[in-house]
Amino acid sequence: MRNMLRKEFKLAMHPIAIIFLSFSAMLLIPNYPYYVAFFYLGLAVFFTCLNGRENYDILYSISLPVRKKDIVKARFLFVIILQLSQIALAIPFAILRQNLPVPCNQVGMEANIAFFGLSFVLFGIFNLVFFRIYYKDVNKVGKAFLISSIVVFLYIMVVESCTHILFFAKNYLDTKDTYYLKEKLIVLVVGMLIYSITTLIAYRKSVKDFEALDL
Amino acid sequence: MSILEVTKLKKKYPSFELGEISFSLEEGKITGFIGRNGAGKSTTLKALFNYVHPDSGEIAFLGKRFLEHELEIKQDVGLVFGGINYYSKKKIKTITSINKLFFKDWDDNAYREYMKLFCLDENKTPSELSEGMKVKFALVLALSHNAKLLILDEPTSGLDPVSRDELLDVFNNLCEKGITILFSTHITSDLEKCADNIIYIKNGKILENGNMKEFVTSYKILNLKEEQITEEIKPYLIGCKRAKEGYTALIKEEYTKNINIPAMEADLEAIMIHMEKEEM
Repeated sequence: MRNMLRKEFKLAMHPIAIIFLSFSAMLLIPNYPYYVAFFYLGLAVFFTCLNGRENYDILYSISLPVRKKDIVKARFLFVIILQLSQIALAIPFAILRQNLPVPCNQVGMEANIAFFGLSFVLFGIFNLVFFRIYYKDVNKVGKAFLISSIVVFLYIMVVESCTHILFFAKNYLDTKDTYYLKEKLIVLVVGMLIYSITTLIAYRKSVKDFEALDL
Repeated sequence: MSILEVTKLKKKYPSFELGEISFSLEEGKITGFIGRNGAGKSTTLKALFNYVHPDSGEIAFLGKRFLEHELEIKQDVGLVFGGINYYSKKKIKTITSINKLFFKDWDDNAYREYMKLFCLDENKTPSELSEGMKVKFALVLALSHNAKLLILDEPTSGLDPVSRDELLDVFNNLCEKGITILFSTHITSDLEKCADNIIYIKNGKILENGNMKEFVTSYKILNLKEEQITEEIKPYLIGCKRAKEGYTALIKEEYTKNINIPAMEADLEAIMIHMEKEEM
């Protein structure tokens, strides 16, 4: 699997993925729907899969002494590494943003612990929708990205609206980390659990779909 | 034991059916897999490696069933698709550095020798190579992990005659070293230059499978005038078609004595054209 991962990073990855990782710095924007910064990583996955289609990545991979499910596993691990890297890179910017001498985020959720929990859910939703479509037909990358983007934006709209409408979200979650830490940590843990479960389901279904796919 | 044994391979699509394909490959020989576009050549080759899932049939490489021994088999087999350039903007040395990680028998010396032999520059990208050089690079990757069997899907399609000839020389040299080659093509002259055996596929079914020379000599060509095509000789004619002057038809060599018309030597192209014409 280590070799397949090397192949993912050295041959398959679209270089723009690295640039999108730096979008974690968007958490420094004073007023912004911060989830959008994480949406861009979906675009990086899309470009990598599109690039793969144009460069016969799957045909090359399958000619190597690996099984079809190894190809899916490597792609999932690659995406998980990118997603966790983006979260890790965003943490210092979130801390910095909370300590900036400017008012709280007026547009949506604060860049706090609960935000990261809800961002994990965003990544989980993306993985579930994108890969379920992609591995049914690896040539329909655009369809997978379009539908997953719509679902992810609907999710962003719902959670950001909740920040303005729901009492709990507005008064407990959309605050600096010094307040209601316990509630935020619960959201983070639940978010991580949802991410793990949805990604695992997406992986298992993708393996099954890809095994059945005629190339 | 044959190096590749395919038994009753079947695959059905809504508009095409690969019907009970069976063949085996002789070790150290070049086998041409011939048929017109859409005859089922690529589907068959893809089915060998489970790229497409056969509905039924057995595939065994060196006596090992593919599905149970996929990883071992892929170590010993080189698969080359003509006209496909993987990672066209990556440098050859980057592609090689990754490719070699997967093969336990990777031989750096052999790699360097083949790169030199084929005049390939590691610092170029596949997009900077001609079609012939791309196929050669794919061959280098296959040969550097000591593949015993090379399966090539239309490696000569899209190449100019000189590049095709060079590639066929390479095949002959590899064959002398004991490497078995199966390559699909619709260019008959390629097979005449290098193939020992032939598998001829038409509409998803194998028409002929055997020695190339025996196959070619088993047919003759007739040049006919319209009045010569009588009810008496019609049953012997295969793929009778119009020519510039009159008609031409194929006939099995053993039937030439039954008719009183001079028959000429047939080449593979003429055989294929007339066979494809038959039953249309």
